[in-house]
Amino acid sequence: MNPLDYELKNALRREEPSADFTERVLARIQSAPARKPDWREGLRKIFRLHALQWATAAALCVAIIIGMVAYRRHQRTLAERAEGEKARAQVMLALHIASTRLNVALREVQRAESPRRIRTDLKSAKTMEHL
Amino acid sequence: MTRMELALAQAANGDASAFASIVREHQAMVFSLACHFLHDRTLAEDMAQEVFLHLYQNLETIQSSTHLKFWLRKVASHRCIDQAREHKPHVNIEEIPEPAGRSAESDPLLAQRLQRLVASLPDRARLVVILRFQEELEYHEIAEVLEMPINTVKSNLQRALAILRNKLERCMGDVPV
Repeated sequence: MNPLDYELKNALRREEPSADFTERVLARIQSAPARKPDWREGLRKIFRLHALQWATAAALCVAIIIGMVAYRRHQRTLAERAEGEKARAQVMLALHIASTRLNVALREVQRAESPRRIRTDLKSAKTMEHL
Repeated sequence: MTRMELALAQAANGDASAFASIVREHQAMVFSLACHFLHDRTLAEDMAQEVFLHLYQNLETIQSSTHLKFWLRKVASHRCIDQAREHKPHVNIEEIPEPAGRSAESDPLLAQRLQRLVASLPDRARLVVILRFQEELEYHEIAEVLEMPINTVKSNLQRALAILRNKLERCMGDVPV
């Protein structure tokens, strides 16, 4: 500590006020008009909870929020799964219809081609005989 | 719960004797802040009373004995600045009355001269010096009380000390400062 610091500490030491200071403060308090309770003070009182209560309330809020988020996510998964099942069923139905139609068409083609094949076979047999 | 915190709780419930004990415990701090700033005992007592009146009206907002000290220093400091703003006297060192006699381990003449020199400093710098040397607060604590950046506190203090050293050398001649 340098000399100036030391001298300043000494010069600026605490001093006591006059002996009746406390009594005069109390007298001023008693003579001061009664304070009307402020609405902000009322609000402050309501919200002035113990730290543990605040922590519990905060934890409860966090738990509720997490629960809501998890529930919504679960609901969304269920909805997506239901939509997927529906789409799969539609695709299966479409494939079944397409397969049935193809079978019908194939049978038609085979039926149409059978007499022509017989005629072609006969013609080739006659040509062989002629030779 | 400390004795002061118990007194705070009792005073908040309307116990006048508990409030009186709070006043007695902190009156020297508040009064000295005002006295060293205003350099007038009567004005300082008046202001200190107002600070305690304000405390009485806001007892419910005080959370602990540490908070109480911080609150009192803050309110007293801001009232000092308000008072200085309202009256704004031109401080001439020679017009400042010599303080009443007091016991001092070191040179009493030097102490009196220093008090007068401190009273002639600019408002903010004066408060920084008082909080630093009367209350022995750290820079960050002064910054919190006066609501100013820590670097401003440091620069105010350095400037104030330079002014004091310079003026003291001129006033006292060959003084080891």
